[in-house]
Amino acid sequence: MSHGVDLPGAVAKRLGFNSEAPRWFLPRLMNVALTRINRLVVTLSMLAMLGSCAVLTSGVVMRYFFKTPTDWQDEISMFLLVGSIFMCGAAVQAQRGHLGIEAIAGYLSPAANRWRIWVCDILSLLFCGFFSWKSWTLLYEAWSEGMTTSSTWAPPLWIPYGLMALGITLLTLQLLIQVLNPPLHKTLS
Amino acid sequence: MSVEIVGILYGLGTLLLMFTGMPIAFALGSIAILFMMFFMPHSALDTVTQNVYEEMSSITLLSIPLFILKGAAIGKSRAGADLYLAIHAWLGKVPGGLGIANVLACALFAAMAGSSPATCSAIGSAGIPEMRARGYSPGFAAGIIAAGGTLGILLPPSITMILFSVAAEVSLGKLFLAALGPGVLLVFLFSSYAAWNFKREYRHALGVYQDGGVKSAYLDDTVLTFKEKTAMLPRVLPFVTLLIGVMLALYGGYATPSETAGLGGLLALALIAIIYKVWRPSQMAPIISSTLKESTMLMFIIGMSLLYSYVMSYLHISQSAAEWLVTMHLSRWVLLASILLFVVVLGFFLPPVSIILMTAPIILPPLRAAGFDFIWFGVVMTIVMEMGLIHPPMGLNIFVIKSVAPDIPLKDVVWGIIPFVLLMMLAVVLLCVFPQMATFFPNWALGT
Repeated sequence: MSHGVDLPGAVAKRLGFNSEAPRWFLPRLMNVALTRINRLVVTLSMLAMLGSCAVLTSGVVMRYFFKTPTDWQDEISMFLLVGSIFMCGAAVQAQRGHLGIEAIAGYLSPAANRWRIWVCDILSLLFCGFFSWKSWTLLYEAWSEGMTTSSTWAPPLWIPYGLMALGITLLTLQLLIQVLNPPLHKTLS
Repeated sequence: MSVEIVGILYGLGTLLLMFTGMPIAFALGSIAILFMMFFMPHSALDTVTQNVYEEMSSITLLSIPLFILKGAAIGKSRAGADLYLAIHAWLGKVPGGLGIANVLACALFAAMAGSSPATCSAIGSAGIPEMRARGYSPGFAAGIIAAGGTLGILLPPSITMILFSVAAEVSLGKLFLAALGPGVLLVFLFSSYAAWNFKREYRHALGVYQDGGVKSAYLDDTVLTFKEKTAMLPRVLPFVTLLIGVMLALYGGYATPSETAGLGGLLALALIAIIYKVWRPSQMAPIISSTLKESTMLMFIIGMSLLYSYVMSYLHISQSAAEWLVTMHLSRWVLLASILLFVVVLGFFLPPVSIILMTAPIILPPLRAAGFDFIWFGVVMTIVMEMGLIHPPMGLNIFVIKSVAPDIPLKDVVWGIIPFVLLMMLAVVLLCVFPQMATFFPNWALGT
């Protein structure tokens, strides 16, 4: 029994989720592609995070040493951080790092737990699919109407909306791969 | 359909989805969208992503990943062990000095890192083996570290406090300052218990030895010279300077909380590069990628919790629940006790970030009507949520202790923690009787 003191995804990993590459050609191809994309995205996001620290620090330096207040630092760092977070959603899901309540896992058999996790993946896929669709419509709106933020600097909103749409789409694809590759067969063998 | 029925369905649906084990962020988002489909105008669904983005694009909220980066940089270096060894060296002569050194190291580390699990892991990985080697019972050693680690969500820069300031619309600077007094109180209570229990275990070990039994490591004395003690300081001073520097930047009016987070993150990385030679990309990458992983998980929960609260508010569920609480005409202390009990129960299953954002719209209006100060309540609520970190089933710190010292049975860990949970309850009672412990400092420094 786990007593609930498990890190995110520990139960799923113990039950064989994420342990094998997908069996069918298309999901396997998607898996390879997404693994590479996730690696690239995480590297870029790491740089974005450091960039955000640098931007915020430069704001303080400009203000106190050069007496030049900036009106762009908050928004740039916000775009960098929001972009990193949405873009890394898929990489975190690939490791099953999104926290869930596993309190009932200890009361179910391994077979029932596999089915439970698979159903959770399907529900998560439906939610992320819907969110992804709405993100693209929002991006289209921001792009076509030239929407900007309400600050004096007024950068275009398609930048963060685009990163959000792309990130959630990657997350949806990641979930799709996981839904197509459940280790349910292990219970049958 | 009446608001009450919709509210009950919303609550039940949330519980049902969450207990399937679905990630909290997706469960909250799904239930919010389902209720938008059935009970809100169809146009609301078109703005769902915009809502989430707008709620998340708060520069205060986005300081969270940067504070996590600062904590990860310090937590993944040897800074925690060095800090602990230095304090231990200087407290060697005090009865229970080793336990007290662990509590103090946890408090200082928590103030630098701002994360409870990071504190547990950094101090516990050095502290638990050392305490056990010196004869401390495994449960006692685990309890000290698990409880000391909880200071991470109370002492500034606390992520929980950041969220509370956003949810309750109160000054983050004041909240951070308000946590200092109760933080010192908890350190005092934990240290006093550590000293008392040390004496109890020492007497037992002495009794066993005098009766011809095995000589416990408790009975061995280790004395360090003054030179050895001072040799410990150079590695610790830069981090203490970082802690003080960040506080000065924040409270001296030089930087906003988000700028402080960015500055702190860069300085922490620079310090570990200079002191521990952690500067190669291959060494830095695990620190930043683990920060990204934790931040992404947390910010997804925060974003979806905010969407969840928005739907709850649009459907008047939170307002009705708040009104219902007000019309019950409970005495203010019964109201407070009921709300804190509710928070404790939620803490069995939910992380503090979700608890704050999901419950704030319901619990804050009745508390305001009852005349409670939100800065004070923020501190009390945080201490109550700290308890959730050290008791099952969520008990994140218990998991960290299990990973640091896997051979300590879970039962011993839980028994070792119980006295500290009781001390936290005592701290809450003391804060209710003497609210000035939380409110004096921020009012004195920043005005009422």
